Amino acid sequence: MASNSPASGSNPPIKPWERAGSSSGPAPFKPPSAGSTSDIVEASGTAKPGEIVSTAERNASTVNTNALGRPMPTRPWEQQQSYGGYGSSLNYNTGYGTGMYGSYGGLGSYGGLGGSYDSGLYGNNMYRGGYSGLYGGGMNGGGMYGGGFGGPMGGYGMGGPYGEHDPNNPFGAPSSPPSFWVSLMRVMQGVVTFFGRVAMLIDQNTQAFHMFMTALLQLFDRSGLLYGELARFVLRLLGIRAKRKKVQPPGPHGLQGPHNPHGNQNYIEGPKAPPSVGWDNLWGDNANN
Amino acid sequence: MPVFKAPFNGYSVKFSPFYESQLAVATAQNFGILGNGRLHVLQLSPTPSNPSQSITEISSFDTADGVYDCCWSESHDSLIVAAVADGSVKLYDLSLPPTANPIRSLHEHTREVHSVDYNVVRKDSFLSSSWDDTIKLWTVDRPASVRTFKEHAYCVYSAAWNPRHADVFASASGDCTARIWDVREPGSTMILPAHEFEILSCDWNKYDDCVIATASVDKSIKVWDVRSFRVPVAVLNGHGYAVRKVKFSPHRGSVIASCSYDMTVCLWDYMVEDSLIGRYDHHTEFAVGLDMSVLVDGLLASTGWDELVYVWQHGMDPRAP
Repeated sequence: MASNSPASGSNPPIKPWERAGSSSGPAPFKPPSAGSTSDIVEASGTAKPGEIVSTAERNASTVNTNALGRPMPTRPWEQQQSYGGYGSSLNYNTGYGTGMYGSYGGLGSYGGLGGSYDSGLYGNNMYRGGYSGLYGGGMNGGGMYGGGFGGPMGGYGMGGPYGEHDPNNPFGAPSSPPSFWVSLMRVMQGVVTFFGRVAMLIDQNTQAFHMFMTALLQLFDRSGLLYGELARFVLRLLGIRAKRKKVQPPGPHGLQGPHNPHGNQNYIEGPKAPPSVGWDNLWGDNANN
Repeated sequence: MPVFKAPFNGYSVKFSPFYESQLAVATAQNFGILGNGRLHVLQLSPTPSNPSQSITEISSFDTADGVYDCCWSESHDSLIVAAVADGSVKLYDLSLPPTANPIRSLHEHTREVHSVDYNVVRKDSFLSSSWDDTIKLWTVDRPASVRTFKEHAYCVYSAAWNPRHADVFASASGDCTARIWDVREPGSTMILPAHEFEILSCDWNKYDDCVIATASVDKSIKVWDVRSFRVPVAVLNGHGYAVRKVKFSPHRGSVIASCSYDMTVCLWDYMVEDSLIGRYDHHTEFAVGLDMSVLVDGLLASTGWDELVYVWQHGMDPRAP
């Protein structure tokens, strides 16, 4: 990198706070060490270059350090692994293979299964190995697709010709066009990512989302659409056509209501027609008896 | 005051620590949910003190996923680090043609990278925090991360270096805690259960290396002294929705800037009684990116989902022509 970057201006102007002394008392931190950051971290024995943290490992490591004393909610992209036969993929998740499991934790059933096989068998020759985990997973997770895809999909897992273009090599040639299954998996992944991000946004901004939904409901409600349309929609789904029928018989003397350009059809405003039979006869002949 | 219209939704804006007229803007298409991203490098011309200034674009870099954050290198004036939603951290060198960029793409995070921060003291390393619950420490001379900090139980939204101590940084997470770390220690050195809701941002007081501010979904900003973190030093209420970013002024120890999902940018002085000292409602969508210039006192920049980048002097109207 040093060769790519100009040596000029290697020091920015001094920060305003560096001119002033610290105003408060001693800080509860160990005094800073001298040397470069990478040397210091290596000297402290905490360095772990290029570590990729898998979903499973992450959950295991955070159990004891959760200061809240309550379980955190599942992330939207971490659906339960309903095909959990191979769910115990932790044991296989070593080395670079963990990346695959982690990358596609969102697909749960696919990635979850795949991680176990792929990391052991194919994963090692991928530096990043994200997609290999996915495809490899779909393939080896025979529970889902059956063995049929096993052969061809395995090839992708090995970083073959259809492997993802290496993101660490910006000058490399683009990879060959993906096959149908690869594209399908990519679309699936996109869908998962999409909903994950929407859920995260709502997470960060719960009140705003609540307001938005409330406003939307009010809007519908005010225009009187919501319930009527909902009912009509449901009825239509059931195959019942709820037609706007003449609910009222024609008014007396052909009276037209103020909002009734179509003659005798009176829905609301027009006066109700009297019963066709006189009130006297309401109880029939028995009343007289 | 100048305005720049980006093609995508703004996510972050940062002033260059080298040149008072340069700033970088991270943007993402479709609100960062789906689509591409772009990193803009903008030039204020001719100088920030000139009243008839404008913003022009020097260069821009496209990415295949949204760019959620960016930061300038403190050791090279042309180097920018970008946090990309596909989990990668990319390094761009302005002195090279766009075809030669990015000069590095570091792909270790397994989920979206939400923030990056460059070490201002030692100037050779930077941090990335991600939705995969981890924070990673990178140095410019290594192709892989030096170490990973995995202790948070939920997404880490931001990590910020201590401005006076080269080995210490703070992180803010959705697990409702902020943590203080020392890169030489295996685990975090302090856990602050700072809010009842998710914490979206944190920053250090530049003049007191024991004071940090946290911003949360509970609409409040809290200021903490790490030596006695049972009770906050100050609680700043005034935003109507979740506070997305909080930043201490590089020039005044007690001044804090914040931006929020209520579409406003607020300025606070946490030492005084009426702590809200300024409110700007120039954005018409969520205000999510904010920075204060290190080189020019009182110069602010903000961006938001209305795709606009504003640069203005505190006390002026950002929309004034």
